[in-house]
Amino acid sequence: MFKPRISALSLALALTSVSLVAMAADEKPIVIGVPVGLSGANSVVAPSVVQSAQLAAEEINAAGGILGRKVVVEVADDGSGAVGAQKAFDSLIFQKKVDVLISMETSAARNAGLPIVAKGKTPYIYTSFYEGRSCSPWMYVNAWVPEQQVPPIVDYFMKEKSAKTIFLIGSDYAFGRGMLDFTKKYAESKGVKIVGEEYLPMDGSDWTAVISKLKAAKPDAIITSTAGGAPNVTLTKQLRAAGVNLPYGNLAVDEGTAKGMGTDAEGIYISASYVTGIDSPANKTFLAAMSKKFGADLKTPNDLSVPQYEAVYAYKLAAEKVKSTDPAKIVTVLGDVKFDGPRGSIVMNKQHHAPLTMYLAQVQADGSVKVISTFKDVDPGLQCPNLK
Amino acid sequence: MNLIFDILTTAAILYIVAAGLLLVYGVMKIINFAHGAFLTIGAYASLVASQVGLPPVAGFLVALIAGALFGLVIERFVLRPLYSRPLDAILATWGLAIVIGQVITLVFGREVQFVPSPIHGTIALLGTEYSAYRLVLILIALIVGGALAILLTRTRVGLVTRAVILNEQLAQGLGIHAQFVRFLTFALGAGIASLAGALITPLSAVDPNMGVPWLINAFMLVMVSGVSMTSLLIATLVFGSAQVIISSYFSPILGGMAIAVLAAITLRIWPKGFSRD
Repeated sequence: MFKPRISALSLALALTSVSLVAMAADEKPIVIGVPVGLSGANSVVAPSVVQSAQLAAEEINAAGGILGRKVVVEVADDGSGAVGAQKAFDSLIFQKKVDVLISMETSAARNAGLPIVAKGKTPYIYTSFYEGRSCSPWMYVNAWVPEQQVPPIVDYFMKEKSAKTIFLIGSDYAFGRGMLDFTKKYAESKGVKIVGEEYLPMDGSDWTAVISKLKAAKPDAIITSTAGGAPNVTLTKQLRAAGVNLPYGNLAVDEGTAKGMGTDAEGIYISASYVTGIDSPANKTFLAAMSKKFGADLKTPNDLSVPQYEAVYAYKLAAEKVKSTDPAKIVTVLGDVKFDGPRGSIVMNKQHHAPLTMYLAQVQADGSVKVISTFKDVDPGLQCPNLK
Repeated sequence: MNLIFDILTTAAILYIVAAGLLLVYGVMKIINFAHGAFLTIGAYASLVASQVGLPPVAGFLVALIAGALFGLVIERFVLRPLYSRPLDAILATWGLAIVIGQVITLVFGREVQFVPSPIHGTIALLGTEYSAYRLVLILIALIVGGALAILLTRTRVGLVTRAVILNEQLAQGLGIHAQFVRFLTFALGAGIASLAGALITPLSAVDPNMGVPWLINAFMLVMVSGVSMTSLLIATLVFGSAQVIISSYFSPILGGMAIAVLAAITLRIWPKGFSRD
């Protein structure tokens, strides 16, 4: 009864040893470690991030690799949390001996991974938007921080919707509160009054009381920053069921979720450094290459997966600039190299963060996302004053 | 006025969600920890119904039937062999909840899904604009509660069921097929749970874990209500209003814990809770 299993196993072993021999024949490949939340909170978006890394590696290999060496992507599941991240970073850095880490992760996972990155002296490009002010000489960030995402929405509500009062709603966790704290400070500095700020736990699903408070406060606009996925949808549905049709800026909705929400999402304003509708040749080439490689399995490229793609290229440029994969040399030039990708030209030269072109977009009745205005090269502000 | 509507609609939702759990607890004397999973099944049933183009009302019926069918199968193959070991039966329902959640994840994926709402917008009523769908939920809760009350007190099935609730051995001695009563009750409880899951989809996202937060509140409400549908009505009104008032005047974060905490305190000082017998 066990016979077929054993023979299948030995066949697998034989194949593995063949491929190991084949690999050893070439020069040692450059290994890109991707610790990412394949399970847990990030599991919805993580597959799209892995796909972009795979496409970037494939394109680079087809064009001759980095410094003549092949590139391989090594993915590790960090469970979207601190404990999983410690394991994933440890195994990638000390066992797999990766040359660079490039990944989108939760803030908890990033904070847990940073000491390991410093100990292993491995360059790390963080490709997720986050609440800001995370600094390490080994880490560069090519995604947005609140200073870049929030002002387009607040400015638009003030100018185009003459909003004088705003109501804030969020999920009770670091990112939700961090985003709304910044929104509050920014709006108040512009003379907009915050007439309410309400939070529900991350797994909360009953927004009844919050919505009643919102209606009683009669604001000119709403800005929300919930946990992605379920709380976001639940809040939006309940707002619509309660007949709330104020200008509605959502700091946590991504294009894919907005599309799925149907008519309830219509009119929502989002602010992002990437939307699929960016009208540039680079973006069109990228989207075509993605659908060619993944076909029906393609996960819609988004504001978390595109920075991943660009970061792989940023590493390639840095390695070619110093003609080496020596980590200490790489980190000195990661802030200088400029890659022209789907999001435009990106250089991580502001205290390890990058000025980004931000797009203010509105969800249309058919679920598509229409860019309303473009804010060129928004500065990330003073994120890490102690770094160059 | 808005506050009163908030309280009434919150109580209505809680009542619909907890009714199936109470029914199963009454007859079978076990807490069905798979109740949240049945909610989720109902939500996905209405999702499938809306994807194949059925109208929302048909989606609710599909959910009710799907839940009842799952209930029949689960009672027969999982719970029936465990009736002599109540604690194991409770553990089995817990395990079942995990299995159902994982199967749903495998079939539908982890991502959040959406079911379109059958009724949009608000109605002007008694000087305030209020969500039409939530007001409809009050009606549905009254219908569900009324139907269960009639079923239990005005029909032969109900008489037999109440006999099993009050004294199972005596009922069996009188020739009542208690096992069959359990079979039907579990299916009905699961069906109502699924109906509840479908009814909350217009106000909530559909994802594999959506039932979990509801299970806790439903569990606490059933604990304080004992086995009476009337005391469940009182409990949902009392605790629903506590939740809304605490959320409105203090903090929604505290409001979210209100039912669990207040129910625990109630049971501490008044072990029989709201049950009258």
